[in-house]
Amino acid sequence: MTHLSVLCKPRRLPAIRAPLAWPGLPVGVALAFVASVAWAQAGAAVRPGPIEAILRWGPLIFGGFLFNVLTSVLSMTVGTALGAPLGLLLIAPGRLPRGISWAVTQFFRNAPWLVLLFYVMFLLPFELHVGGVTIPLPDWAKAVLGLSLPVAANVAEIVRGALQSIPEPQWSAAAGLAFGRLQTIRLIILPQAIRRMLPPWMNLYAILTMATTLISIVGIQDGLTITRAAISSDARPEMMLPLYLFLLLLFFVYCYPIARATLALERRLLVRG
Amino acid sequence: MKRILPLLVLLATLCLSVTAARAEDTLAAVKQKGVLVVGVKNDYRPWGFIDPSGQIVGLEIDLAREIADRIGVKLELVPVTAVNRMEFLRQGRIDLIIATLGDTPERRKVIGMIEPNYFAGASNVLAPKSAGLKSWADLKGKKLCAVQGAYYNRRVAQLYQPDMVVFPAVPDGMNALAAGNCVGFLFDDTLIESTLAGGDPKWRDYDMPLPSEDPQLWAMGVRLEDVNAPFGKLLSEMSTEWLKSGHILDLEKKWGIKPSPYLQEMRDKLAAK
Repeated sequence: MTHLSVLCKPRRLPAIRAPLAWPGLPVGVALAFVASVAWAQAGAAVRPGPIEAILRWGPLIFGGFLFNVLTSVLSMTVGTALGAPLGLLLIAPGRLPRGISWAVTQFFRNAPWLVLLFYVMFLLPFELHVGGVTIPLPDWAKAVLGLSLPVAANVAEIVRGALQSIPEPQWSAAAGLAFGRLQTIRLIILPQAIRRMLPPWMNLYAILTMATTLISIVGIQDGLTITRAAISSDARPEMMLPLYLFLLLLFFVYCYPIARATLALERRLLVRG
Repeated sequence: MKRILPLLVLLATLCLSVTAARAEDTLAAVKQKGVLVVGVKNDYRPWGFIDPSGQIVGLEIDLAREIADRIGVKLELVPVTAVNRMEFLRQGRIDLIIATLGDTPERRKVIGMIEPNYFAGASNVLAPKSAGLKSWADLKGKKLCAVQGAYYNRRVAQLYQPDMVVFPAVPDGMNALAAGNCVGFLFDDTLIESTLAGGDPKWRDYDMPLPSEDPQLWAMGVRLEDVNAPFGKLLSEMSTEWLKSGHILDLEKKWGIKPSPYLQEMRDKLAAK
């Protein structure tokens, strides 16, 4: 879970010195993959090797991976829809809304994602009876809800941080021009702040995507669950490394461009800002 | 905040309403729905595992299909784990568990077990011949690999005090054994025999050195109120037929499991009547 610790640090614009086009990481991952395949191949002279295993199970695992991606998109959407207004409330003038939104944000931001997921999965029924109408609550919907709670809290902090990073004179200037508070936020502060929200928001999305594998622990058939089932089904324990690495590679290929784009955005912001 | 509060209230009410009663007769409900929902394993070859097309297959799936055919409805399989299967059943997410479920007094307080039991396993240890294990007592203080949630773990841990190393799934434990991380792998004896008989050169220098212990009956699980209802009676009838005709012995042969003594014994006993 160490990658989640990133979220706990105070958010500010980092000074980026890392070169953007650093080929070492993808090359390293590819090498590790090839090496593990070779290693598993060496012990399997008689029976089909890891390449065959990946070809056999690849489509199924890829389908499971797509489910992770779908879960991440839905959780991010729900989390942003909940978190953006929550972030606005964090800097509301009233003490009560500020206090309540602060408590909610802190609670969901500092609770382990997996524990929240367990709560939502096992406390919600699989169907709801509301006045004679039965609303099914499939597992994937519960998982999306469970993941979007911590996402919402983190989005709220991103929104709050970006809004507060806009220099104070902008507020007073707007007030001097007879803008109301909401008008100021909507017309002056938000347009500037959204650019600053984007990199941490994308960063959060990449982390969320990798965290979606948590749903395998609560029994949902995602990429990781299917990979595990595939390893068991072949009764070939030595296929574990190549198949896991195949899944890892899928996530990497999806998340790495997001990380690169985040860096590029941050750098652009730094030059202009 | 305005959006979060109602959500929290909703969550809280849902938590309270989970235990909503489902009083209707399950057999009638299944016939009305036209589908029997069975919780099965998908990572426990050969009882329940997936094939590369994503289908769940195995000995227990064959049994589930026969039950659905007898009732005259479609079969829906839900992959379950040792952690969530009883909760799914109680919630009504599934109608029946056929998932290597051990029949224990503690579990009988929570769910209904169908008699006669359709299978019985016993525990044993897969170990390299060089380990020189002679009796269960030799395990004391040695590292013993095991699988999370297996019913025999606690008993072996208490009686023989090995240093238990518990893994989430079978392949993980087998890998650890092959890598020399433990002196043996605690498992079902029929599965160990099948592994040894499978002809994989990897296990050439391994055997099952100890006498099988702790015979454990497996049962189909239903909700408590279903045991003596038409649904439970039908299952009990089918289980009796399977045992009497040696049907499950045939299925063992089909899935490459060694004939288990319990099934032979039950067949002879029921045939003598």
